[in-house]
Amino acid sequence: MRPAASHEGANERPSLGRRAVGLARQAVRRASNVTLLLYALALGAGIGLASADYATRGGYPFGGVVVGAWTAWPRAGSVGADPYARAVNARRGEIPLAIGEGMLLTAAQDDAGRTLDATCTYTIAGITPPARAWTVTVAGRGTRVPGQTTLREGFTSTEILREPDGHFAVTLSPVVQAGNWLPMPRPSGPVRLALRLYDTPVAASAGTLDRSALPAITRTGCAS
Amino acid sequence: MTPRGRFLLATLSGLVLAGLVHIGVVLVIPSLSETDALSRARTSESLDHAMPVYTLATGDNPSPAEAWLPIPDPAVAVGICAYDLADGPMRVSARAGPLMLSLAVHGRRGAFYAVTDQAAVRGALDLVVLTRAQYDQALADADENDVSRDVRIVAPERKGYVVVRVIAALPSQRPAANAAVQAVSCTVDSPAEDTKAGG
Repeated sequence: MRPAASHEGANERPSLGRRAVGLARQAVRRASNVTLLLYALALGAGIGLASADYATRGGYPFGGVVVGAWTAWPRAGSVGADPYARAVNARRGEIPLAIGEGMLLTAAQDDAGRTLDATCTYTIAGITPPARAWTVTVAGRGTRVPGQTTLREGFTSTEILREPDGHFAVTLSPVVQAGNWLPMPRPSGPVRLALRLYDTPVAASAGTLDRSALPAITRTGCAS
Repeated sequence: MTPRGRFLLATLSGLVLAGLVHIGVVLVIPSLSETDALSRARTSESLDHAMPVYTLATGDNPSPAEAWLPIPDPAVAVGICAYDLADGPMRVSARAGPLMLSLAVHGRRGAFYAVTDQAAVRGALDLVVLTRAQYDQALADADENDVSRDVRIVAPERKGYVVVRVIAALPSQRPAANAAVQAVSCTVDSPAEDTKAGG
C-alpha cells in the first residue's frame, strides 16, 4: 500500500526480522504466476515427503488397541493392516505375527502413564490372556548393537517362576533381584516391553481384552 | 485478485498437494522398498529348505548378524521360504516335533493364512500354496480314493513368502529350534510328480 514505508524503515536500521518480513512481502507482491506455482509445488513435495517419512518411521502410528499400559497390535500383520502399518513393516523389514499365529503387545509406559526408564525398577505382575506360549521381552529404542550379548532379554511362559496360584511377577531392574529378574538392556534412557502371545484366540477379538487379563506394570523405585 | 490472495491460494494448493503426496508416498512405500521382507526373501527362492532369518543364540554363540528383524523375539527362531507360483505350487513340509511350530503365508499385502503344528496329521504338516488355477487343477487331478493330507491354500498374489517360527521355551531347546527351522522343506510341486502320485 505504501511502498515508500520500507525505504524509510531502511534508513532507521530496522531489525533483521523486520527486514526479512519486508523482503518477503515484497516477494509476495512481485511474484509471478510461475514463481507461485513453483512455490506451491515445492511446498507440496517438501511437506508431503517429510510427513510421510515421519509417519512411517519407527513404530506403527495407529491401529493399536490400548489395554491398560499395553497396546495390542492384532492387525499389524494381516491383510487388513492399514497402509501405514504396511509401510512401516516394509521399511523396517519386519515380519509381523499373523492373526492365527499370535499377537504382539507393546508397552512404553507403566500403569501410571510414566515412560519406562532404564534407571528405574518395575514389576510386571499378573496373568496373561490364554495362549499356548508367550514371551515377555525388553528392548531399548533404536537398533541393537551387533555382537553385544545381554544376560537375558526376556522370559518365556515355560521358564518363568510362578506363584502357587499361577500368577507371575517379573522384576525389571538395573540391579540384581531375586525371582524373575529381567535386567535393563541399557544403562539409561527409555525402554519398551513386548509381550508376544503365540497361538492365542485373543488375536481375533483384541478389542474385548480387559486390563486385568494383562500383567500390570508398576514402578517400585528409581535410582536417581 | 490481490497479490496476497494469490499467495494464499498458492499456499493452500501447496498444502493440498502435500496431502496427496503424503498419501501417495505411504501407499507406494511397500512396493518400492528394497529392505522389506519380501525383497530380502528372494534370495531363499533357490533353496529347498527354509532360509534362517533369525537364528537363536546358543551357549556362547550370539545370534549371527544376518538377523534383519528389527526387534526379534529372543526365544523364537524364524525362517523364511519365498515362493513364486509361476514356477508351480509351493509345498512346505514340516514335521511336528516337541517344539511349537507355526507357518504363516504372507503376500504383498500381509499375512493371509497361518497354521500351527496342532493341525499336523500324523506328525506331518503339509502346506501347499497355489493359485486359483493350480487349485482347480489339483482338485481335478485328485484321485477320490486317495486321501490328501495337504492343507491347500489359494494365494491372492503370485509372489510371497512363508514364515516358519519355532519357539524354544527353554534355552536348552534353542539348538533344536534352529535345527527345526532348517528342517522345514520348501519345494516346488512339479506337475510330473502330481500325476505320478495321482496315478
